Amino acid sequence: MTLKRKFKAGDFAILAEMEPPKGVDISIMTDSAIKVKGKVDALVVPEMSNAVMRMSALGGAMILQSKGIETVMQVNCRDRNRIALQADLLAAYGCGIRNVMAVIGEDPGYGDHHQARSVYDIDLVELLKAINTLSQGRDMAGIELVGAPDFLVGSTTNIGAKGKSSELEFEDLKKKADAGAYFFITPPLFHIASLSPFLKKAESLQIKIIPTVLLLKSLGMARYMSKNMEHIFIPDELIGRIQKAPDKVRECTLIAAETVRSLKKEGFSGVMLATIGWEHKLSEILEKV
Amino acid sequence: MIIADKKPIEEIIESIKDYSRILILGCNECVTVCEAGGKKEVGILASALRMYFLNKGKEVKIDENTLERQCDHEYLDELVDQVDNYDAIVSLACGVGVQFAAEKYRATPILPGVDTCFLGATEKRGLWTERCQACGQCILASTGGICPVSRCAKRILNGPCGGSSKGKCEINKDMDCAWQLIIDRLKALDKLDTYEELSPLKDWSTDRAGGPRKIMREDLLL
Repeated sequence: MTLKRKFKAGDFAILAEMEPPKGVDISIMTDSAIKVKGKVDALVVPEMSNAVMRMSALGGAMILQSKGIETVMQVNCRDRNRIALQADLLAAYGCGIRNVMAVIGEDPGYGDHHQARSVYDIDLVELLKAINTLSQGRDMAGIELVGAPDFLVGSTTNIGAKGKSSELEFEDLKKKADAGAYFFITPPLFHIASLSPFLKKAESLQIKIIPTVLLLKSLGMARYMSKNMEHIFIPDELIGRIQKAPDKVRECTLIAAETVRSLKKEGFSGVMLATIGWEHKLSEILEKV
Repeated sequence: MIIADKKPIEEIIESIKDYSRILILGCNECVTVCEAGGKKEVGILASALRMYFLNKGKEVKIDENTLERQCDHEYLDELVDQVDNYDAIVSLACGVGVQFAAEKYRATPILPGVDTCFLGATEKRGLWTERCQACGQCILASTGGICPVSRCAKRILNGPCGGSSKGKCEINKDMDCAWQLIIDRLKALDKLDTYEELSPLKDWSTDRAGGPRKIMREDLLL
């Protein structure tokens, strides 16, 4: 069943992040992807997250699609102007990619090409509107297309994130939904209760909220994120649980799997599993879900 | 200097239509030289607005003032005792002045009365042209004193593109090709050998790539 159908049917969708390589050796990406084929509904292919240069999302998504795996291709506003963004969206659809996720893109200062000039010709809401315009058979200049794409469109939301104003985030969510976004992926979530109140509100907008479940790799990572990442809340009990566990990596995969189960139980529309470089652990998490 | 252009009066009217006590605030610096926001333009705009509201039968008080600068605390301080007399201020300063005034007088809407356009020079009265994009890393020493960042449509740094024709830019036949100007100038200076050197990869982090910029001079801080 396609991701679109799964969402429409109200079934719980499992997405997983799959970073393309920094280079041309695609074996690790494809091996990890093939291991979870059939266990995930689609793989989300980031577009150079954290402004680190690597194979593009379009390239990565095309490779994964060629292995028979449905993808969600990210598009960001940082690296391309409106001409290139539209061109890549048409290319993506022409190559069989049916789901896109529009993001703003981190500043190059975060990445590995600090001297790069970012583009931001259009912003995120404008990009969502542009995708919508393409789906109506016209480009941003109003010129008719020969065949229009019909993407399932997603974006991001910080709703429920620590330190964010839920009122402003909800306004932002509405703006993006009005611009054509249907599903929204949250930042990593370790405390479901902080997001649950927004589920009902989301339902009123006829959209899908997809929390990210991030695989913690170590106690150090959990502590670091808890201390230094402004919008991430990791309960002390969770850190304590990892600390006490004899096999910390196993415990972390268990925590990820348990969080996915809880999300399903709470009535969320799906989950996005992020393993940042540990994509080989995806199948282990999914086995425990 | 900063070059600005007058905003269409309809746009200014739209932005002030809900207010009845308005100050038109000019600036004695760049916008005076480019005749967009100095004392003279303040007078013209104020008169035009008074006539407009009179014709509409709406009672609107329009006052005029022009500060030496709007990008310095000491001159903006002059408004402290007057600002509460107004529902809104239309600043004819550049975007810097508008923002600085808004930061200082937080309870009063400060509305822009000009469009800030570029850093440029007065070629002749009524003609201003761009010369600098404030990229934060000046390369004029190697380009014969002509800036490809601000004057080449593609901002390219290693010679003209294929669109350069008879010394003109492909974007507009009335526009000089910056690289043709650079080559001509280097020739005149007998420094054409510098043209053969490849320009190092531009570091845009000193431009806007690194976010809003600031310069802090420890030796000048009080």
